[in-house]
Amino acid sequence: MRRPRKSSRRGRPIGWLLLRGEQCHGVRRMRPAPKAGHECWSYEDQGLFDAYARRCVDQALAAGERVWFVPSQHADVTGLPGGDAVRVIRFAEAYATHEVVDPARQVAAYAAATEDALAAGFTGFRVVADVTPLVRTDEQRDAFARYEYVIGRYMRHHPMSAVCAYNRGELGERAVAELACLHESSHAAGVSFQLHPGATSAEAVLEGELDLSAEDLFATALRRTDLDRADGEVVVDATGLRFIDHRALLALQRYAESQRTTAVLRTPLGAVARLAGLLDLPHVRVEAAR
Amino acid sequence: MTRTGAAAGYHGYYHEAVCYDSDDDLLAVAVPFLLGGVTAGEPTIVALGERAAGVVRAALPGDVPVTFMSGGAMYARPAGAIRAYRKLLAGHVAAGAPQIRIIGELTAEVFGPAWDSWARYESAINHAYDEFPLWSMCAYDMRTAPVQVREDVLRTHPRTAMPDGRHVPNETYVDPVTFLSDRRPPVPDPLQRAAPRADIAEPTLGDARQAVRDADDGRLDPDDVDDLVVAVSEAVANAYRHGRAPVRLRLWSSADRIVVTVTDGGSGPKDPFAGLLPTGDGLEGGLGLWIAHQSCDHVAMYRDAGGFTIRLAAG
Repeated sequence: MRRPRKSSRRGRPIGWLLLRGEQCHGVRRMRPAPKAGHECWSYEDQGLFDAYARRCVDQALAAGERVWFVPSQHADVTGLPGGDAVRVIRFAEAYATHEVVDPARQVAAYAAATEDALAAGFTGFRVVADVTPLVRTDEQRDAFARYEYVIGRYMRHHPMSAVCAYNRGELGERAVAELACLHESSHAAGVSFQLHPGATSAEAVLEGELDLSAEDLFATALRRTDLDRADGEVVVDATGLRFIDHRALLALQRYAESQRTTAVLRTPLGAVARLAGLLDLPHVRVEAAR
Repeated sequence: MTRTGAAAGYHGYYHEAVCYDSDDDLLAVAVPFLLGGVTAGEPTIVALGERAAGVVRAALPGDVPVTFMSGGAMYARPAGAIRAYRKLLAGHVAAGAPQIRIIGELTAEVFGPAWDSWARYESAINHAYDEFPLWSMCAYDMRTAPVQVREDVLRTHPRTAMPDGRHVPNETYVDPVTFLSDRRPPVPDPLQRAAPRADIAEPTLGDARQAVRDADDGRLDPDDVDDLVVAVSEAVANAYRHGRAPVRLRLWSSADRIVVTVTDGGSGPKDPFAGLLPTGDGLEGGLGLWIAHQSCDHVAMYRDAGGFTIRLAAG
């Protein structure tokens, strides 16, 4: 049950790039959530996104969560519930839109906001944000993509979830695809696979299908992970993988080689092991998963 | 360390046919060939069919160090055989072998609709094994070989080893680039007589994979279906990447077989060895058709008025 109370942190700057960056990892899920609720929403029709955002806000409120809603510049978001549960943040108030996000600082800021919400008696913290203005340049997009990946891991361990919206008409399909594939799920982003974090920095989760259409998108996505060596190996949990072609396996090989590690690909697909065997990949090992 | 026997002084792959009409003729060629290799200390290998291997084994001294390999396992798929043999040969060369001797056999099971792909194998290996000091004899039982097989054997082997000990050049031999550039349509698969189960214009790769999965009603080996999915996906990717519009996929299926054709409007790969040997390092393409050939037992590639077609079959 929700027991709203006044937050001791109220009144500080609310833009997430401007929030204080204290580390706050005290409240964790009992075990990492298989799906934390980190989704990407690619849109061209403002009205459709506004309607979806509204539904997400309503769902979060019904679940007893605190919501931060960062609407699009042209969004019509009047009539949202007031009070402590929903905070509407306008870009003009909160961001310098030429800002390049600092992934670690941003995760820390959301960790603090999640703690705030829990301390105030909410069941969790949900962000619904159109972040189009933060990924307009290549530099911004690269940093934000790295942030999208690492905040996904925070969400697996803590009661935070997010809908990250991108205006496809403004950013272009390729730019949105680069960001979309690093979420747990994506809507209308034209990506056939999702690469998102596992429970630790030595694990990633790979789902969907990788073929010619994903050719360099996958290599770019791998570079934006924070996959780190643990005993010289990183694990790619591919239990939800439906197909991977030789180009994607070669991309994984090149990534693992560049990191001086071995990528262990766990998949129930026997064809993947046979394909990897044909390619002689010294930095990729395929293991059977159920 | 020099090469011995008929291949003494030869550089590269010394490729011979053995066309035998009787077991005596086979033994007249095989036994001196094998014992000569053993005497010279060369790796000496038999990859004959079960029956012929038994005949040869019985004719050799019991303790002779000849390696008998299962010909059936070695010759499951042409591109797979090339890969396996190249690995085997590279290992022997790395270990210091001055020459490797192999007598192998393609048996009557491949003399049917699959023969065309094996004829292409026999031609391609003149190039694919030429970096190794290999002397091989490819035995064919003339009592079971159809006319087309006999003709192709002579066109793909530079010479024939005779029972009387001679090594005779084959007058009809053609170099592999010429032989492989002839991409004639294969014998239609019986399943292709009926209307296709799926006929998709401009399929996405995902559409193509799903069409194969949908055609499987659980009676094919799941590994064969998964490998066919890989092969078809690569074939369609190849059509879009290297072929011309329009791209079309057709699929036929029965209870225990699936046949897929992928056609594009182009003229097919210029490289006559495409599919049988990997080309490039995968960064610029060149692996797709090779993987399709490695993942599928029955592959045919041909040109006709409609363009270039790759046919893949499982079961």
